[in-house]
Amino acid sequence: MSRYDAWAHPRLAAQVLRTRRDGQSEVTVRVGSLQGAQHVLRLEQAIHGLPGVRRVSVDAAAQRVRVVWDSNRTSLPALLKAFASMRCDARPLRSDSAIDARARDAHDMLKRLLVAGMFAMQVMTYAFVIYIGVVDFVDFTTRGLFRWLSMLSTVPVVFYAAHPFTMGAVRELRERRLGINLPVALAVWLVFIASTISTLRGAGEIYFDSVSMFVFLLLAGRYVELRARHRSVSLGDAVIDSTPLLAERRAPDGRLETVPAAELLAGDRVHIAEGSVVPADGVLECDVVDVDESLLTGESLPVTRRRGERLVAGSVLLTGPGQLRVEHFGDDTVVARIGELSTRARQARDAVLPGTDLQLRLFVARVLLLTLATAIGWLLVDPARAFASAVAVLVIACPCAFALTAPAALTRALGVLAQRGVLVTDSAALTRLERVDLAVFDKTGTVTTSQLALADVEVFGDTSPVTRLAEAAALARESSHPVARSIAQASVSHTWLQAHGVLVVPGEGVRGRLDGRDLRLGRVEFALPAGMAFDERVWLADDDGALAAFCLREELRADAARTLDALRQHGITPVLASGDAPTRVAGIAQMLDIVEWHARQKPADKLSRLQQARHDGHVTLAVGDGTNDAPVLAGADVSAAIATGTDLAQAHADLLLLHGRLHGLVEAREISRQIRQVIAQGRRWSLGYNLCAIPFAALGLLPPWLAAIGMSLSSLAVVLNAWRIGREDQQPPVLHA
Amino acid sequence: MNIILVLIPVTLLIVIVAIGIFFWAVNHQQFDDLDSPGVLPLMEEDPVRPDVPTPPAPAEESEPH
Repeated sequence: MSRYDAWAHPRLAAQVLRTRRDGQSEVTVRVGSLQGAQHVLRLEQAIHGLPGVRRVSVDAAAQRVRVVWDSNRTSLPALLKAFASMRCDARPLRSDSAIDARARDAHDMLKRLLVAGMFAMQVMTYAFVIYIGVVDFVDFTTRGLFRWLSMLSTVPVVFYAAHPFTMGAVRELRERRLGINLPVALAVWLVFIASTISTLRGAGEIYFDSVSMFVFLLLAGRYVELRARHRSVSLGDAVIDSTPLLAERRAPDGRLETVPAAELLAGDRVHIAEGSVVPADGVLECDVVDVDESLLTGESLPVTRRRGERLVAGSVLLTGPGQLRVEHFGDDTVVARIGELSTRARQARDAVLPGTDLQLRLFVARVLLLTLATAIGWLLVDPARAFASAVAVLVIACPCAFALTAPAALTRALGVLAQRGVLVTDSAALTRLERVDLAVFDKTGTVTTSQLALADVEVFGDTSPVTRLAEAAALARESSHPVARSIAQASVSHTWLQAHGVLVVPGEGVRGRLDGRDLRLGRVEFALPAGMAFDERVWLADDDGALAAFCLREELRADAARTLDALRQHGITPVLASGDAPTRVAGIAQMLDIVEWHARQKPADKLSRLQQARHDGHVTLAVGDGTNDAPVLAGADVSAAIATGTDLAQAHADLLLLHGRLHGLVEAREISRQIRQVIAQGRRWSLGYNLCAIPFAALGLLPPWLAAIGMSLSSLAVVLNAWRIGREDQQPPVLHA
Repeated sequence: MNIILVLIPVTLLIVIVAIGIFFWAVNHQQFDDLDSPGVLPLMEEDPVRPDVPTPPAPAEESEPH
């Protein structure tokens, strides 16, 4: 049975399939690596060749493929196998992935842009005829005809193409706030109504050419911005899709296998390590656990659940490990709750930098006042020129560039970072990161790899090391701590031992019953409470005394030294704080040239150290592995967690460093500096441009059509400037499977 | 000069037809992928057929073509 056959299950399929009105099925899949445009085309042709396939659309940036087909003729597993045969591993995504809404937005904008462009050209030819005065020689009725034609051709531009601006302005007025759409809509409608009145009266100036060009150029700017934003979002989605929430399912023979949480079925037994997310609704099958349900109920205190009680998907296990029998699966609410966890990173993208909104309102208010002042000034001097000058001021001072700067910079930055393996869950943290001057690093699993090598086993008594290791692994398997994981993986025994009543004591060790003996695995003072000489090894003991001691060797992450050097160059002082023994922490600190290090630190010690540093005026960054040190991370100004597949959804940190790349920190710091620069440049640009252009417009020296071109080009310049973020340091994108 | 009265409606008609064609193209995803069609002429081999291991036989027989 191949792994794709699970998707034949109707309830699993229901999560990812969508039935269209014409009876066809639709599915969006995440595909593995796509090697170039040729591969994309081949894949598209191959899937098209399957019986019943109607439509295939590939979004290469997001690594997503959408297929519309007749599921009676080709089953979902067969479709997925066809993807696999094209060297392209496919995993169905939940049916509500946002790809449709995005395509619809782009289509809508493109249509409006074209309508505005086509009719603007028409209006301009008519205007040209009127300007050069050809028709004046004929007679005035022909001139009137051309004015009427201009008006008719402007109607679709104002009513259809400019509709988003009008609706935006209405919404802003209803919410009683000054936004970017108000000046735009005001300019468009004022000019259109005034010109229409002139046309009906048969006398006075008309500006139909200006207004249709204004709308066209503005839409062109918005369209470029929309495409850029969608591309950034796609790049981010590709990374997020690559890390689904995983669950550890216990096979009938007791072994654990890792499967996506979406593929769990009712009756499956799931093992949940401490600090992990509960992957499905179900009944607890172990004695007692503490659960954090704050994400679901808002209850901030841990809740204790006992055997037989229900656990809710999406809550986080604080003590562990837990064993769960899955009851509900594929339930919409459950899936949505799980989805919420992994979409936190997505939501951050929609947030705008705080403070910009207020500044924008002030800016818009100033523009409106300035327009009014110009109109009044000209009415006193020369009423005939009042309208044209006021409109020119309104258009030229329109703060489009100002409003676009921050969102454009932020969207681009988040897209670039996602591509390089850094997910940002809190976009405000990016601006704080720029001011960080003190970084506190955890040791195990952060500056060292989470994979520890088993260097030596000392056995007491006459049992073989393999047996002792298997016993230790039975306990270690239940914990998510890097040391425990490494011991569990080091076991080579073929006999699978199952411990019962396992309890994980954070920072100390694991205890549990195995074959009628109480075993303890962990620090020497935990495993052998009777007291023994101080020792750094991991000990396995029962009530009679020590059984074995394991010596683990740590290895530095490949990019740890490089990262710390770069951070020092950025003016950040690194500090190493670890719960480990002094000699080991000192060794690692020396290898990384870290001057300040602290050993034997409990989470509370680390937290008070951070608070002291913040009290002294430092802006702090805490880096950890995200699961064992959540409170420490929460205590820093900016938190970063090294997250791998399983941990991603539960790592509560502002920045998530994927693929174990510590160097992502340096890149995030660099990007945060660029964001500040680009925003400052955008501000300076729009301010300088306004200062130069407004006097000319107010004095009536700038016709409205030139104002429209100037304003649109200025917005475009800002968007393109934001696109420079992440360009200078040419880093190859991180390849992910 | 009366020819203008004929030609102007004709241009408007052309604009409307062009917009109609463009809307059709946008709705049929012709503008969604502007990158890969560029390499289409460079592909020499025939499109690869995927090997579907278990074609759903009963459905294929009953389906009218």
